[in-house]
Amino acid sequence: MRKKELKLVVTFHTTADAMAMEKACKVRQVPGRLIPVPRAISAGCGLSWCSDIEEQEKLLGIMQEIEIEREAIHECMV
Amino acid sequence: MNLSDSKKKLALAGVLSGLVAVCLAVFGNPVNMAFCIACFVRDTAGALGLHQAEVVQYARPEIIGLVLGAFIISVVTKEYRSTAGSAPMIRFVLGMILVIGSLIFLGCPLRMVIRMSAGDLNAWVALIGFILGVGTGVIALKKGFSLGRAYVIHKLNGGIFPALMLGILLLALFTSLLKASESGPGSMHAPLILSLIGGLIFGAVAQKSRMCFAGSIRDVILMKNFDLLTVIASLFVVMLIFNLASGRFVLGFNTPGIIAHSEHLWNILGMYAVGFAAVLAGGCPLRQLILAGQGSSDSAVTVLGMFAGAAVSHNFGLASSGTSLNPETGELVAGAVTSYGKIALIICIAVCFVIAFTNKREGAKS
Repeated sequence: MRKKELKLVVTFHTTADAMAMEKACKVRQVPGRLIPVPRAISAGCGLSWCSDIEEQEKLLGIMQEIEIEREAIHECMV
Repeated sequence: MNLSDSKKKLALAGVLSGLVAVCLAVFGNPVNMAFCIACFVRDTAGALGLHQAEVVQYARPEIIGLVLGAFIISVVTKEYRSTAGSAPMIRFVLGMILVIGSLIFLGCPLRMVIRMSAGDLNAWVALIGFILGVGTGVIALKKGFSLGRAYVIHKLNGGIFPALMLGILLLALFTSLLKASESGPGSMHAPLILSLIGGLIFGAVAQKSRMCFAGSIRDVILMKNFDLLTVIASLFVVMLIFNLASGRFVLGFNTPGIIAHSEHLWNILGMYAVGFAAVLAGGCPLRQLILAGQGSSDSAVTVLGMFAGAAVSHNFGLASSGTSLNPETGELVAGAVTSYGKIALIICIAVCFVIAFTNKREGAKS
Protein backbone atom coordinates (compact mmCIF):
# COMPACT_ATOMS: atom_id res chain seq x y z
CA MET A 1 0.00 0.00 0.00
CA ARG A 2 1.28 3.47 -0.91
CA LYS A 3 2.47 5.49 2.05
CA LYS A 4 0.70 8.81 2.58
CA GLU A 5 2.81 11.97 2.14
CA LEU A 6 2.25 15.65 2.78
CA LYS A 7 1.15 17.14 -0.55
CA LEU A 8 -0.20 20.33 -2.00
CA VAL A 9 -3.85 19.96 -2.99
CA VAL A 10 -5.55 22.60 -5.12
CA THR A 11 -9.35 22.56 -5.24
CA PHE A 12 -11.46 24.23 -7.90
CA HIS A 13 -15.01 25.48 -8.35
CA THR A 14 -15.71 23.08 -11.22
CA THR A 15 -14.49 19.72 -12.48
CA ALA A 16 -13.68 21.37 -15.80
CA ASP A 17 -11.21 23.70 -14.07
CA ALA A 18 -9.45 20.72 -12.49
CA MET A 19 -9.26 19.00 -15.88
CA ALA A 20 -7.89 22.19 -17.46
CA MET A 21 -5.26 22.34 -14.73
CA GLU A 22 -4.21 18.76 -15.47
CA LYS A 23 -3.87 19.56 -19.16
CA ALA A 24 -1.87 22.74 -18.52
CA CYS A 25 0.48 21.01 -16.07
CA LYS A 26 1.10 18.17 -18.51
CA VAL A 27 1.94 20.62 -21.30
CA ARG A 28 4.34 22.48 -19.00
CA GLN A 29 5.72 19.24 -17.54
CA VAL A 30 4.85 20.18 -13.98
CA PRO A 31 4.55 16.96 -12.00
CA GLY A 32 1.29 16.13 -10.24
CA ARG A 33 -1.95 14.23 -10.69
CA LEU A 34 -5.72 14.54 -10.50
CA ILE A 35 -7.22 13.07 -7.35
CA PRO A 36 -10.71 13.09 -5.82
CA VAL A 37 -10.93 16.03 -3.40
CA PRO A 38 -9.70 14.52 -0.09
CA ARG A 39 -12.61 13.89 2.29
CA ALA A 40 -10.82 15.83 5.02
CA ILE A 41 -11.07 18.94 2.86
CA SER A 42 -14.61 18.71 1.52
CA ALA A 43 -17.88 16.80 1.57
CA GLY A 44 -18.09 17.41 -2.18
CA CYS A 45 -17.05 14.85 -4.75
CA GLY A 46 -15.12 16.93 -7.24
CA LEU A 47 -11.57 16.62 -8.51
CA SER A 48 -8.47 18.36 -7.25
CA TRP A 49 -4.87 18.75 -8.38
CA CYS A 50 -2.20 17.15 -6.22
CA SER A 51 1.45 18.19 -6.44
CA ASP A 52 4.59 18.32 -4.36
CA ILE A 53 4.66 21.19 -1.86
CA GLU A 54 7.55 22.90 -3.63
CA GLU A 55 5.53 23.28 -6.86
CA GLN A 56 3.25 25.94 -5.34
CA GLU A 57 4.76 28.93 -7.15
CA LYS A 58 4.64 27.16 -10.51
CA LEU A 59 1.04 26.13 -9.95
CA LEU A 60 0.00 29.66 -9.02
CA GLY A 61 1.69 30.92 -12.18
CA ILE A 62 -0.09 28.38 -14.36
CA MET A 63 -3.48 29.18 -12.83
CA GLN A 64 -2.94 32.87 -13.51
CA GLU A 65 -1.77 32.18 -17.04
CA ILE A 66 -4.72 29.98 -18.05
CA GLU A 67 -7.17 32.02 -15.96
CA ILE A 68 -8.38 29.33 -13.60
CA GLU A 69 -9.88 30.52 -10.35
CA ARG A 70 -8.91 28.15 -7.57
CA GLU A 71 -11.22 27.47 -4.66
CA ALA A 72 -8.43 26.87 -2.14
CA ILE A 73 -4.93 25.48 -1.67
CA HIS A 74 -4.35 22.94 1.09
CA GLU A 75 -1.44 21.04 2.46
CA CYS A 76 -2.61 17.59 3.49
CA MET A 77 -1.62 13.96 3.71
CA VAL A 78 -2.49 12.19 0.46
CA MET B 1 -16.19 9.23 12.86
CA ASN B 2 -14.45 9.76 9.55
CA LEU B 3 -15.82 7.08 7.22
CA SER B 4 -13.57 7.89 4.32
CA ASP B 5 -9.96 8.11 5.44
CA SER B 6 -9.21 4.48 4.63
CA LYS B 7 -10.57 1.81 2.32
CA LYS B 8 -11.53 -0.31 5.34
CA LYS B 9 -13.80 2.44 6.67
CA LEU B 10 -15.25 3.00 3.22
CA ALA B 11 -15.98 -0.72 3.05
CA LEU B 12 -17.63 -0.45 6.48
CA ALA B 13 -19.85 2.33 5.11
CA GLY B 14 -20.91 0.00 2.29
CA VAL B 15 -21.58 -2.82 4.78
CA LEU B 16 -23.74 -0.53 6.96
CA SER B 17 -25.73 0.61 3.93
CA GLY B 18 -26.11 -2.98 2.79
CA LEU B 19 -27.42 -4.00 6.21
CA VAL B 20 -30.00 -1.20 6.08
CA ALA B 21 -31.15 -2.48 2.67
CA VAL B 22 -31.31 -6.05 4.02
CA CYS B 23 -33.46 -4.95 6.98
CA LEU B 24 -35.86 -3.08 4.72
CA ALA B 25 -36.17 -6.11 2.42
CA VAL B 26 -36.83 -8.41 5.38
CA PHE B 27 -39.44 -6.11 6.88
CA GLY B 28 -41.58 -5.63 3.82
CA ASN B 29 -40.06 -3.63 0.98
CA PRO B 30 -40.64 -5.25 -2.44
CA VAL B 31 -38.47 -8.29 -3.10
CA ASN B 32 -35.31 -7.29 -4.93
CA MET B 33 -36.16 -3.59 -4.51
CA ALA B 34 -34.93 -3.18 -0.96
CA PHE B 35 -33.80 0.36 -1.65
CA CYS B 36 -34.24 2.04 -5.03
CA ILE B 37 -34.01 5.79 -5.41
CA ALA B 38 -35.82 6.06 -8.76
CA CYS B 39 -38.60 3.67 -7.72
CA PHE B 40 -39.06 5.39 -4.37
CA VAL B 41 -39.07 8.87 -5.92
CA ARG B 42 -41.66 7.52 -8.39
CA ASP B 43 -43.76 6.12 -5.52
CA THR B 44 -43.52 9.40 -3.61
CA ALA B 45 -44.48 11.34 -6.75
CA GLY B 46 -47.52 9.06 -6.96
CA ALA B 47 -48.41 9.69 -3.32
CA LEU B 48 -48.38 13.43 -4.06
CA GLY B 49 -50.71 12.86 -7.01
CA LEU B 50 -48.14 13.78 -9.65
CA HIS B 51 -49.06 10.60 -11.54
CA GLN B 52 -52.07 8.29 -11.39
CA ALA B 53 -50.51 4.82 -11.54
CA GLU B 54 -52.39 3.33 -8.60
CA VAL B 55 -49.94 0.48 -7.91
CA VAL B 56 -46.94 2.77 -7.33
CA GLN B 57 -48.14 5.42 -4.90
CA TYR B 58 -46.58 5.62 -1.45
CA ALA B 59 -44.61 8.40 0.27
CA ARG B 60 -41.44 6.40 0.85
CA PRO B 61 -39.94 7.39 4.21
CA GLU B 62 -36.56 6.20 2.91
CA ILE B 63 -36.36 9.16 0.50
CA ILE B 64 -37.33 11.60 3.26
CA GLY B 65 -34.84 9.93 5.62
CA LEU B 66 -31.99 10.11 3.10
CA VAL B 67 -32.38 13.86 2.70
CA LEU B 68 -32.92 14.53 6.40
CA GLY B 69 -30.08 12.15 7.38
CA ALA B 70 -27.68 13.99 5.09
CA PHE B 71 -28.99 17.36 6.34
CA ILE B 72 -28.64 16.49 10.03
CA ILE B 73 -25.18 14.92 9.76
CA SER B 74 -23.88 17.80 7.64
CA VAL B 75 -25.19 20.39 10.12
CA VAL B 76 -23.77 18.48 13.10
CA THR B 77 -20.35 18.07 11.45
CA LYS B 78 -20.41 21.66 10.12
CA GLU B 79 -20.32 20.48 6.49
CA TYR B 80 -23.70 21.98 5.62
CA ARG B 81 -23.11 24.50 2.84
CA SER B 82 -25.89 26.36 1.11
CA THR B 83 -24.96 26.73 -2.57
CA ALA B 84 -26.74 27.38 -5.89
CA GLY B 85 -26.37 28.91 -9.31
CA SER B 86 -25.03 26.19 -11.56
CA ALA B 87 -27.34 25.80 -14.58
CA PRO B 88 -30.54 24.92 -12.68
CA MET B 89 -32.80 24.18 -15.66
CA ILE B 90 -30.22 21.90 -17.29
CA ARG B 91 -29.96 20.07 -13.97
CA PHE B 92 -33.76 19.80 -13.87
CA VAL B 93 -33.72 18.13 -17.29
CA LEU B 94 -30.86 15.83 -16.24
CA GLY B 95 -32.94 14.85 -13.20
CA MET B 96 -35.81 13.92 -15.51
CA ILE B 97 -33.46 11.83 -17.65
CA LEU B 98 -32.08 10.05 -14.56
CA VAL B 99 -35.53 8.76 -13.67
CA ILE B 100 -36.87 8.17 -17.19
CA GLY B 101 -33.78 6.03 -17.97
CA SER B 102 -34.08 4.24 -14.64
CA LEU B 103 -37.75 3.41 -15.18
CA ILE B 104 -36.99 2.01 -18.64
CA PHE B 105 -34.49 -0.37 -16.98
CA LEU B 106 -36.65 -0.61 -13.82
CA GLY B 107 -34.22 0.60 -11.19
CA CYS B 108 -31.64 3.23 -10.35
CA PRO B 109 -27.92 2.32 -10.10
CA LEU B 110 -28.47 1.31 -6.44
CA ARG B 111 -31.20 -1.13 -7.38
CA MET B 112 -29.09 -2.32 -10.34
CA VAL B 113 -26.42 -3.41 -7.83
CA ILE B 114 -29.07 -4.96 -5.55
CA ARG B 115 -30.54 -6.84 -8.53
CA MET B 116 -27.05 -7.97 -9.54
CA SER B 117 -26.53 -9.36 -6.05
CA ALA B 118 -29.74 -11.39 -6.40
CA GLY B 119 -28.53 -13.08 -9.59
CA ASP B 120 -30.63 -11.03 -12.01
CA LEU B 121 -28.58 -11.22 -15.21
CA ASN B 122 -30.58 -8.35 -16.72
CA ALA B 123 -28.91 -6.05 -14.21
CA TRP B 124 -25.47 -7.34 -15.22
CA VAL B 125 -26.38 -6.55 -18.84
CA ALA B 126 -27.50 -3.07 -17.79
CA LEU B 127 -24.19 -2.54 -15.98
CA ILE B 128 -22.52 -2.53 -19.41
CA GLY B 129 -24.72 0.40 -20.41
CA PHE B 130 -24.12 2.20 -17.14
CA ILE B 131 -20.33 1.95 -17.49
CA LEU B 132 -20.53 3.10 -21.12
CA GLY B 133 -22.75 6.03 -20.07
CA VAL B 134 -20.33 7.10 -17.34
CA GLY B 135 -17.48 6.67 -19.85
CA THR B 136 -19.22 8.97 -22.33
CA GLY B 137 -19.67 11.52 -19.55
CA VAL B 138 -15.97 11.28 -18.76
CA ILE B 139 -15.15 11.98 -22.43
CA ALA B 140 -17.33 15.09 -22.16
CA LEU B 141 -15.46 16.15 -19.01
CA LYS B 142 -12.17 15.73 -20.85
CA LYS B 143 -13.53 17.89 -23.67
CA GLY B 144 -14.18 20.70 -21.17
CA PHE B 145 -17.82 20.07 -20.19
CA SER B 146 -18.98 22.31 -17.39
CA LEU B 147 -22.31 23.56 -16.04
CA GLY B 148 -20.52 26.43 -14.35
CA ARG B 149 -19.73 26.98 -10.72
CA ALA B 150 -22.10 27.16 -7.79
CA TYR B 151 -22.02 30.06 -5.32
CA VAL B 152 -22.52 30.19 -1.59
CA ILE B 153 -25.95 31.68 -0.87
CA HIS B 154 -27.94 32.46 2.27
CA LYS B 155 -27.99 29.36 4.45
CA LEU B 156 -31.78 29.29 4.61
CA ASN B 157 -31.97 28.28 0.92
CA GLY B 158 -30.25 24.96 1.44
CA GLY B 159 -32.68 24.08 4.20
CA ILE B 160 -35.79 24.48 2.06
CA PHE B 161 -35.63 21.08 0.36
CA PRO B 162 -35.10 19.17 3.63
CA ALA B 163 -38.03 21.19 5.06
CA LEU B 164 -40.23 20.13 2.14
CA MET B 165 -39.28 16.50 2.80
CA LEU B 166 -40.19 16.99 6.46
CA GLY B 167 -43.53 18.39 5.29
CA ILE B 168 -44.24 15.21 3.28
CA LEU B 169 -43.38 13.15 6.37
CA LEU B 170 -45.82 15.16 8.51
CA LEU B 171 -48.55 14.72 5.88
CA ALA B 172 -47.88 10.97 5.87
CA LEU B 173 -47.97 10.77 9.67
CA PHE B 174 -50.89 13.01 10.53
CA THR B 175 -53.21 13.24 7.51
CA SER B 176 -54.82 11.02 4.89
CA LEU B 177 -54.11 13.47 2.08
CA LEU B 178 -51.41 11.37 0.42
CA LYS B 179 -52.32 8.54 -1.94
CA ALA B 180 -51.27 5.03 -0.97
CA SER B 181 -51.39 1.91 -3.16
CA GLU B 182 -53.57 -0.96 -2.01
CA SER B 183 -51.87 -3.46 -4.32
CA GLY B 184 -48.68 -3.70 -6.36
CA PRO B 185 -45.16 -2.55 -5.44
CA GLY B 186 -46.44 0.63 -3.76
CA SER B 187 -48.36 -1.43 -1.22
CA MET B 188 -45.26 -3.37 -0.19
CA HIS B 189 -43.24 -1.55 2.41
CA ALA B 190 -41.51 -1.88 5.71
CA PRO B 191 -43.15 -0.13 8.69
CA LEU B 192 -42.93 3.65 8.35
CA ILE B 193 -40.70 4.22 11.36
CA LEU B 194 -38.27 1.49 10.27
CA SER B 195 -38.10 2.89 6.73
CA LEU B 196 -37.49 6.36 8.12
CA ILE B 197 -34.71 5.20 10.45
CA GLY B 198 -33.21 3.17 7.58
CA GLY B 199 -33.26 6.25 5.37
CA LEU B 200 -31.71 8.44 8.07
CA ILE B 201 -28.85 5.97 8.64
CA PHE B 202 -28.30 5.39 4.93
CA GLY B 203 -28.35 9.16 4.30
CA ALA B 204 -25.84 9.90 7.05
CA VAL B 205 -23.52 7.10 5.91
CA ALA B 206 -23.80 8.14 2.27
CA GLN B 207 -22.99 11.74 3.22
CA LYS B 208 -19.92 10.76 5.22
CA SER B 209 -18.62 8.27 2.66
CA ARG B 210 -19.64 10.32 -0.41
CA MET B 211 -21.25 7.17 -1.82
CA CYS B 212 -22.00 7.61 -5.52
CA PHE B 213 -22.56 4.91 -8.11
CA ALA B 214 -21.64 7.08 -11.10
CA GLY B 215 -18.79 8.78 -9.24
CA SER B 216 -17.25 5.43 -8.32
CA ILE B 217 -16.92 4.42 -11.96
CA ARG B 218 -15.95 7.95 -13.03
CA ASP B 219 -13.08 7.94 -10.54
CA VAL B 220 -11.84 4.54 -11.75
CA ILE B 221 -11.91 5.59 -15.42
CA LEU B 222 -10.49 9.07 -14.84
CA MET B 223 -7.99 8.57 -12.01
CA LYS B 224 -7.79 4.82 -11.35
CA ASN B 225 -9.07 5.65 -7.89
CA PHE B 226 -11.07 2.83 -6.28
CA ASP B 227 -12.19 4.56 -3.05
CA LEU B 228 -15.84 5.07 -3.97
CA LEU B 229 -16.02 1.70 -5.70
CA THR B 230 -15.01 0.10 -2.39
CA VAL B 231 -18.28 1.37 -0.84
CA ILE B 232 -20.38 -0.05 -3.67
CA ALA B 233 -18.50 -3.36 -3.75
CA SER B 234 -19.00 -3.96 -0.04
CA LEU B 235 -22.72 -3.10 -0.29
CA PHE B 236 -22.92 -5.65 -3.13
CA VAL B 237 -21.18 -8.32 -1.03
CA VAL B 238 -23.56 -7.81 1.93
CA MET B 239 -26.60 -8.08 -0.34
CA LEU B 240 -25.11 -11.13 -2.10
CA ILE B 241 -24.58 -12.93 1.22
CA PHE B 242 -28.12 -12.06 2.31
CA ASN B 243 -29.63 -13.27 -0.96
CA LEU B 244 -27.66 -16.52 -0.91
CA ALA B 245 -28.45 -17.17 2.75
CA SER B 246 -32.15 -16.43 2.42
CA GLY B 247 -32.66 -18.35 -0.80
CA ARG B 248 -33.46 -15.21 -2.75
CA PHE B 249 -30.54 -15.66 -5.16
CA VAL B 250 -31.99 -16.76 -8.52
CA LEU B 251 -29.54 -16.68 -11.41
CA GLY B 252 -31.19 -15.97 -14.74
CA PHE B 253 -33.14 -13.77 -17.09
CA ASN B 254 -36.91 -13.50 -17.19
CA THR B 255 -37.33 -14.18 -13.49
CA PRO B 256 -40.94 -13.43 -12.53
CA GLY B 257 -41.74 -11.41 -9.47
CA ILE B 258 -38.62 -9.24 -9.30
CA ILE B 259 -39.90 -6.31 -11.36
CA ALA B 260 -37.47 -6.59 -14.25
CA HIS B 261 -37.58 -7.32 -17.98
CA SER B 262 -35.15 -8.93 -20.41
CA GLU B 263 -35.07 -6.51 -23.32
CA HIS B 264 -31.30 -6.32 -23.31
CA LEU B 265 -30.78 -3.42 -25.70
CA TRP B 266 -33.18 -1.24 -23.71
CA ASN B 267 -31.72 -2.29 -20.38
CA ILE B 268 -28.33 -1.21 -21.70
CA LEU B 269 -29.61 2.06 -23.20
CA GLY B 270 -31.68 2.87 -20.10
CA MET B 271 -28.69 2.67 -17.82
CA TYR B 272 -26.49 4.30 -20.46
CA ALA B 273 -28.69 7.40 -20.21
CA VAL B 274 -28.57 7.24 -16.41
CA GLY B 275 -24.77 6.90 -16.28
CA PHE B 276 -24.29 9.67 -18.83
CA ALA B 277 -26.74 12.09 -17.15
CA ALA B 278 -25.33 11.30 -13.70
CA VAL B 279 -21.80 12.31 -14.69
CA LEU B 280 -23.12 15.52 -16.26
CA ALA B 281 -25.17 16.31 -13.15
CA GLY B 282 -22.27 15.47 -10.85
CA GLY B 283 -23.80 12.42 -9.17
CA CYS B 284 -26.19 9.47 -9.35
CA PRO B 285 -29.81 9.74 -8.09
CA LEU B 286 -28.73 8.79 -4.55
CA ARG B 287 -25.93 11.36 -4.54
CA GLN B 288 -28.33 14.08 -5.74
CA LEU B 289 -30.55 13.47 -2.70
CA ILE B 290 -27.54 13.59 -0.38
CA LEU B 291 -26.16 16.78 -1.93
CA ALA B 292 -29.64 18.34 -1.71
CA GLY B 293 -29.65 17.40 1.98
CA GLN B 294 -26.29 19.01 2.65
CA GLY B 295 -27.34 22.33 1.17
CA SER B 296 -27.04 22.22 -2.63
CA SER B 297 -30.03 23.91 -4.22
CA ASP B 298 -28.67 22.80 -7.62
CA SER B 299 -29.06 19.19 -6.55
CA ALA B 300 -32.46 19.96 -5.05
CA VAL B 301 -33.52 21.20 -8.50
CA THR B 302 -32.14 17.96 -9.99
CA VAL B 303 -34.28 16.00 -7.52
CA LEU B 304 -37.34 18.06 -8.50
CA GLY B 305 -36.49 17.06 -12.08
CA MET B 306 -36.44 13.44 -10.89
CA PHE B 307 -39.98 13.86 -9.52
CA ALA B 308 -41.07 15.39 -12.85
CA GLY B 309 -39.39 12.52 -14.70
CA ALA B 310 -41.28 10.01 -12.58
CA ALA B 311 -44.58 11.78 -13.27
CA VAL B 312 -43.89 11.94 -17.02
CA SER B 313 -42.85 8.27 -17.08
CA HIS B 314 -46.17 7.07 -15.69
CA ASN B 315 -48.49 9.72 -17.13
CA PHE B 316 -47.18 9.11 -20.67
CA GLY B 317 -46.62 5.36 -20.43
CA LEU B 318 -42.82 5.45 -20.66
CA ALA B 319 -42.06 3.10 -17.77
CA SER B 320 -41.42 -0.54 -18.61
CA SER B 321 -43.35 -3.49 -17.21
CA GLY B 322 -41.76 -6.33 -15.27
CA THR B 323 -41.86 -10.03 -16.12
CA SER B 324 -44.62 -11.76 -14.17
CA LEU B 325 -46.67 -14.93 -13.91
CA ASN B 326 -50.25 -14.92 -15.12
CA PRO B 327 -52.12 -15.76 -11.89
CA GLU B 328 -54.82 -17.70 -13.76
CA THR B 329 -52.80 -19.70 -16.29
CA GLY B 330 -49.45 -19.72 -14.49
CA GLU B 331 -47.76 -18.73 -17.76
CA LEU B 332 -44.77 -16.40 -17.88
CA VAL B 333 -45.67 -12.94 -19.17
CA ALA B 334 -42.51 -11.23 -20.36
CA GLY B 335 -41.93 -7.66 -19.18
CA ALA B 336 -41.54 -5.09 -21.93
CA VAL B 337 -40.38 -1.62 -22.82
CA THR B 338 -43.16 0.52 -24.32
CA SER B 339 -42.88 2.21 -27.73
CA TYR B 340 -43.24 5.61 -26.11
CA GLY B 341 -40.54 4.62 -23.63
CA LYS B 342 -38.14 3.74 -26.44
CA ILE B 343 -38.76 7.05 -28.23
CA ALA B 344 -38.38 9.01 -24.97
CA LEU B 345 -35.15 7.24 -24.13
CA ILE B 346 -33.61 8.02 -27.52
CA ILE B 347 -34.60 11.67 -27.03
CA CYS B 348 -33.05 11.59 -23.52
CA ILE B 349 -29.74 10.25 -24.85
CA ALA B 350 -29.73 12.85 -27.64
CA VAL B 351 -30.38 15.59 -25.06
CA CYS B 352 -27.46 14.30 -22.97
CA PHE B 353 -25.16 14.63 -25.97
CA VAL B 354 -26.39 18.18 -26.67
CA ILE B 355 -25.86 19.17 -23.03
CA ALA B 356 -22.49 17.41 -22.84
CA PHE B 357 -20.92 18.94 -25.89
CA THR B 358 -22.41 22.44 -25.89
CA ASN B 359 -21.73 23.43 -22.27
CA LYS B 360 -18.04 24.18 -22.08
CA ARG B 361 -15.83 25.83 -19.55
CA GLU B 362 -15.92 29.53 -20.31
CA GLY B 363 -12.77 31.24 -21.55
CA ALA B 364 -10.93 27.93 -21.70
CA LYS B 365 -7.22 28.36 -22.20
CA SER B 366 -4.43 25.82 -22.06
